[in-house]
Amino acid sequence: MSIHIQNVSKAFGSFQALEDISIDIESGELIALLGPSGSGKTTLLRILAGLEGLDEGAILFDGQNITNVSPKEREVGFVFQHYALFRHMTVFDNVAYGLKVRPRKTRPSKEEIKKKVTELLALVKLDNFADRYPSQLSGGQRQRVALARALAVEPKVLLLDEPFGALDAKVRKELRRWLRKLHNEFHVTSIFVTHDQEEALDVANRIIVMNNGKIEQVGTPEEVYEHPNSPFVYDFLGNVNLFRGRLHKGKLTQGEFEIDVPTYLDSHDDAVGYVRPHDIQIEKEQLNNESVAAKIVHIHMVGPIVQIELKREDVDEYLEAEIPKEHYKQLHIKNGDTVYIRPKQLRVFIPEDYSI
Amino acid sequence: MELTLKKRKRNTIIPGFSLTLGYTMLYLSVIVLLPLSMVFFNTLSLSWSELWETIAHPRAVASYKLSFGTALAAGLINVVFGTIIAWVLVRYQFPGKRIVDGLVDLPFALPTAVAGIALATLYSPNGWIGQFFDFKIAFTPIGIVIALIFIGLPFVVRTVQPVLQNLSREIEEASASLGATRLQTFTKVIFPELLPAIITGFSLAFARSLGEYGSVVFIAGNMPMKTEITPLIIMTKLEQYDYVGATAIATVMLVTSFALLLLINIIQWYTNRKFNVQ
Repeated sequence: MSIHIQNVSKAFGSFQALEDISIDIESGELIALLGPSGSGKTTLLRILAGLEGLDEGAILFDGQNITNVSPKEREVGFVFQHYALFRHMTVFDNVAYGLKVRPRKTRPSKEEIKKKVTELLALVKLDNFADRYPSQLSGGQRQRVALARALAVEPKVLLLDEPFGALDAKVRKELRRWLRKLHNEFHVTSIFVTHDQEEALDVANRIIVMNNGKIEQVGTPEEVYEHPNSPFVYDFLGNVNLFRGRLHKGKLTQGEFEIDVPTYLDSHDDAVGYVRPHDIQIEKEQLNNESVAAKIVHIHMVGPIVQIELKREDVDEYLEAEIPKEHYKQLHIKNGDTVYIRPKQLRVFIPEDYSI
Repeated sequence: MELTLKKRKRNTIIPGFSLTLGYTMLYLSVIVLLPLSMVFFNTLSLSWSELWETIAHPRAVASYKLSFGTALAAGLINVVFGTIIAWVLVRYQFPGKRIVDGLVDLPFALPTAVAGIALATLYSPNGWIGQFFDFKIAFTPIGIVIALIFIGLPFVVRTVQPVLQNLSREIEEASASLGATRLQTFTKVIFPELLPAIITGFSLAFARSLGEYGSVVFIAGNMPMKTEITPLIIMTKLEQYDYVGATAIATVMLVTSFALLLLINIIQWYTNRKFNVQ
């Protein structure tokens, strides 16, 4: 089912939680709502589910305005961060709940319910847990029950509020993969809220980055990661190094250091170059003034990528670089060495009122 | 038994298990068990036939029925209205909420005799409330039930309130998004969560009502066979220096109350089982 969010605004007292949000979501998409806490992502999700009202704007499901439709009639499946399972019911009864509360006319028979629930429990690999109570399950298992419960009513939209937020790293990764697989099988339009950029990049087809109740950027994981359109998105999606300087005639200069940025031709006294750690080149010799001297503070060597923390010698700023292990071995560097670093790819933003 | 105790001792991390257990046993013995066993000892000085004659006396039997019947009725009424009051106090904001919240505790604090006199005056045939009814309220079992409702109310409210407060809003939202109506959400999700607290509140109110004396004697009228509660029979016997007779009746009260409370506790364990599994 396609979803159209049109100019939605919502305030809690004097706090503007959402400001003029408009998004179109195609049927069958898997969307991540990504943002820091307080960015309004959960509020937006709750508005979609009908658990929260909105001040202005409209929500359309398949072209139908459902802004004032109660959550009961929206046919959405909602998965909560803390599972919200019914403690006094067994796993089976939890999953069956949505079917059992239907009015008699549309309620499936007992056998049908049993069949459906058994199927769903098999899907979430909890077939042997049907008679257990939620308190007897681990966090990951509980969240799977919550997912099965939401899927039981065959929702047109699946909404997940930080579904893996309360789980440990390993289970989280497993459930992520599983969610993507589930989505590939069922093609139900799904939206999940997360503040974990890795999770968003890993699972979603499309990411909506939110900040302060507004949308910063919408795009595929590659788009938002490779071409962030604002300093906020650059900073929020992955680590970043800042080079502050003066922008003049396609060059960003800071003291001795000068780098060509041919796409930025206007002049600004305050400009900030953003460089991802893996776009930083480390050299032992200074070739030209596009590189800058820095002292190695710490080398973190786990896995194929070596993370190096450096302190610039000209200004009091720290940098982070990531280089492949092989390259690291060729360089023969150690803690305390002075090396020359050069940004391979740099994106310049002119700060307005944005500060880190 | 010894084995399990030993095992527990070895596995426990919190120190002082034997010390605290010993203290608990001693304290309970001195405060609860010893006085209660005196009741039994006193009763034992009666022969079986004498005992039977005392406890099966028609007047005594009528009082058992009245005491347990009215306590049960008051307990059940308190469950319904106490839960509603707890619900209102937790879920809604209104001016004067704190005052209402404080009023709930008043029956705890008020000397029960004061409550009894006040209720008797209100509900007597020409009292402020009593005059509007064609039938008598004070000096009948209805009056007794009213007095017992009054003293039992805080127990239900105060046990249900914190549970309701801790109930997460999310389970209601989950229920709604799964297509349940408000009524279904209440009966299938909220009520089962509250049930253990409601049972606790009920048993507390019920137990309190069984032993209640002060407020009831003023409103009951104390007519033998009709509105004479068991605690009053005990008092009457004591006033006639019939200590053995009084303790015999007390024994009946004690055994029956214990059996009922045990039954309620078993129900409680059963309903609680699913919530706290190790």
